[in-house]
Parts: sequence; C-alpha cells; structure tokens
Amino acid sequence: MNADQTPSGLQAVALHERPRLLRFLVARGAGEDAEDLFQELWQRVARTAAEPVADPVSYLFRCAENLMRDVRRSAVSRERRQFEWHEAGDNDAEYPLGERVLIARERLQQVDAALEALGPRVAQVFRAYRIEGRSQALIAREHGVSLSSIEKDLQKAYRALAQLKAKFLAE
Amino acid sequence: MDTARLWVLRVNEADFSGWDAFTQWLEEDPGHLALYEAALAEDAFARDIAAAMPAVLPFTPRKPSVWRYAVPGAMAASLTGVVLWFGVLSGAGITEITTGPGEMRDITLADGTQIALNGNSRITYDADEPRMVTLAAGEALFEVEHDDANPFVVMVGQTRLVDAGTIFNVTSDGGAIEVGVAEGAVIYYAAGAEITLNPGDRLTRPSADAPAQVQRADTAAMGSWRDGLLQYDNAPLSDVARDLSRALGKPVRAVGGAQQMRYTGTLSATGSQQAVLEAASALLGVRLTETSDHWEMTPANAPSP
Repeated sequence: MNADQTPSGLQAVALHERPRLLRFLVARGAGEDAEDLFQELWQRVARTAAEPVADPVSYLFRCAENLMRDVRRSAVSRERRQFEWHEAGDNDAEYPLGERVLIARERLQQVDAALEALGPRVAQVFRAYRIEGRSQALIAREHGVSLSSIEKDLQKAYRALAQLKAKFLAE
Repeated sequence: MDTARLWVLRVNEADFSGWDAFTQWLEEDPGHLALYEAALAEDAFARDIAAAMPAVLPFTPRKPSVWRYAVPGAMAASLTGVVLWFGVLSGAGITEITTGPGEMRDITLADGTQIALNGNSRITYDADEPRMVTLAAGEALFEVEHDDANPFVVMVGQTRLVDAGTIFNVTSDGGAIEVGVAEGAVIYYAAGAEITLNPGDRLTRPSADAPAQVQRADTAAMGSWRDGLLQYDNAPLSDVARDLSRALGKPVRAVGGAQQMRYTGTLSATGSQQAVLEAASALLGVRLTETSDHWEMTPANAPSP
C-alpha cells in the first residue's frame, strides 16, 4: 500500500492512527502529556519535506520514538550530567589535564580488552555497528550468520560495557 | 535488562516495524520503560566510547626503507601498534589528542595515515572530515596515505598543507610554522602564497605575517626528534629553544644575546629533565634558568642577571 507522499497525506495517516500513536506515547512515558506530544508530532510531520515515505505508519512511530527521546534528553540535561566516562570524577580541578588524558586512555584500553575478551567476532561486530555505523542486517550478511546471532553479540558487548561503566563510576 | 537491550537494538534498526509489539512489552510492566531508558543510556555510552576508538583497519607494517632516518628496532616495533584515540570531547565528533612534555604518541587514522606527535603538542580531528587534521600546537610527523581524489590536509591556523603523497614534518609555534618534506610533495597554502615543497625542502615562516622561505635541508635529520635527537645545522638558538620547550614542557626563551648564537650538531632530548638541561647547557654554551612559567636561556659567558 503506497501512501500519499505529501505532508498532508502523512497527516491524514497520523489522524487515522492517532489512537495507536497515543497508546504508544503513553506506554513510552508521556503520561498526561500524551495529547500535547501528539500535537508536537503533528507539527513535526507537517514540517517534513514532501519526500516519498514507503511505510508511513512506521515512519510516524519512528517520529514518535525520536520525539520521546528528545523529551527525555532535555529532561536529563536539565539535571546536571553526573558522569563523563572519560573524567576521573565530578571535579575537574581534582585532576590536571595530563592525568585525565592518561586515565581516559587507560579506560579505553580496558574497554578494548573487555570487548576482545568476548571473542573476536563480538569485538568486530561492535565496531562495525557502533564505529562504522552499519546496520545489524548488513553485518549479519557480511559474517554469514543470522540476525539474532548479531543481536546476541551486541547484547554481550553492551553488558560488558555496562559493567565497565559501573566500575569507572565507583573509582 | 537483556530484553530491554534487545528492544533498543531492534528499534534502532532503520527498517523496524514491530511498534505494536514494542508498545505491548512496555505496557506489560511499569518497570519495562525504566529498563528501556537504561538500555538507551547504555547505547549512548557505547556511542561515546565508539567515537573515541579508532575505526578498525589492520595495520600493515611498512618496509624499513620507507623511514628515511635511523629508527631503532624498538621504535619501529611500537609503530605497529594502533594507538587508541580518546577525546577530551569538546563537541560531537571532535577528538583532541594532547601530549604532555617529553611525551610522544603514535596515531594511526582510519585511512592508514600515521601521525607521530611530539611532546607538548596537540592535534584535533573531526570524524566528519576524516582526511583533515589540525595541528593546534607543537610538532608532528605525518606519513600520509596518498589519495589523489581525496588529498589529506593538515591545518595550522589559517595555513593549509595539502599532501601530494608524503612524509612530512610540521612544527607550529603561535604563528610560526616550519614544514620539512622527506618523501613525496606537500603544497603549502597561506594568504597569497601557494608553494610546492619537494623532498629535501624546508619551509620556514617565523610569524603569521612574515613571508615563507624555502631552504634545502637534510631529509635524514627530519623527524629525528622521534629518537630523542634534535639535529641542527647552523640554527639560531631561538629554534633550539623552541624544540627544547617540547621536551621540558615550559616555553624556553633565548634572551640576552642567546637568540643570535648558532648551533650545529646534535642534541639529545631524552632522559630526565636534568640530563637534558645539562647536555643542552654544555653543548650550546648557555645557562638555563627556570622561572615560574618559563626557562631563560642566556649565554654562558655573559654576566649573571
């Protein structure tokens, strides 16, 4: 089903899917602001250039997801950011630049070691995904494995990173 | 938590269409949203980390003959390591590498270009412009992966150095710049000037406004700082002072007539600061006095200040 390409076409789809989108926004944490956020979504869609959209419903949900992430990001930056992964602590004055540079370098080496310890493919897959920005589907094809294998590799990598981050925070 | 991670991985794929299933999972349990947000934060952390790691390329060891100057075996071995990037991140995608006094760092870029950074130096790199590096201060030796279609550029202030298949050394000191070419060619672009530099050429420009001059220099001596050796051929002591700053970490100023003195020979810049100072004083015929923010280099046979 090839939907209309004009912004008003997208808006028509948005109106039609409003209940589903509202439900998503609520589940995603919008709470009472769901209606307002739907309006925000509506505005964003209206501002979109008239390009062909293959799957307008998915497109709208993707917009909604991005909107929720933006909302959350603003909320977080309103609070003071507690931790820069490469900083030794909150207080910049505690450590001179040279030392912070050394600590950051050391931590990166730990990250590298942790990823390598998970096996060569995990490290490669993480790099391909996060550094080179390839999609999981593409990585799966390149390695000749299933998409779910790639998902598992990435979950392992992320788990290891979470442990390291906790360790850095505690230092 | 693993399930939340999986949802982040899936939702982030461009072709994701399981929005209803995702909504249902979120509705199943109020805790799921918190887990999802935590997994998103993990993903952001992973992005930060990834931005600081080098894009992977297996390092291809080079034939020793490429290096035009004597490189001790141990040094050559260290070049085969890929040094990790890290950023004192000033903005998305901008990475800055700084060395402390006397510290040297080898860096390999995603395209295979190698940079040797001398002490007390700083380069910045924007991941969005992978074929450009800015030398903000200090000294670096570049061995560039040549690409006619996409030349490598080193920015020094407003000056552009464009690679034409090269090994070249650059020093930057405020507005002063010095470029030496060992192999290939470098094109120097600065206000009103375009100069092609060939192997053995050394361009000097004492300040941003001064004209650039090109002289012939010994290519074997270029980059000898990597061995901790500074080589000079009738160089004014102000040049030596500048190079010593990189080893000592504080600016070294040649004053009281020392600026006019000249030196021909080799100076060792390795070892303890004390050793460097003693060697420099003896060889250059100067006295080095430390103040709070710099070193003063004065002629040894002048009366004490």
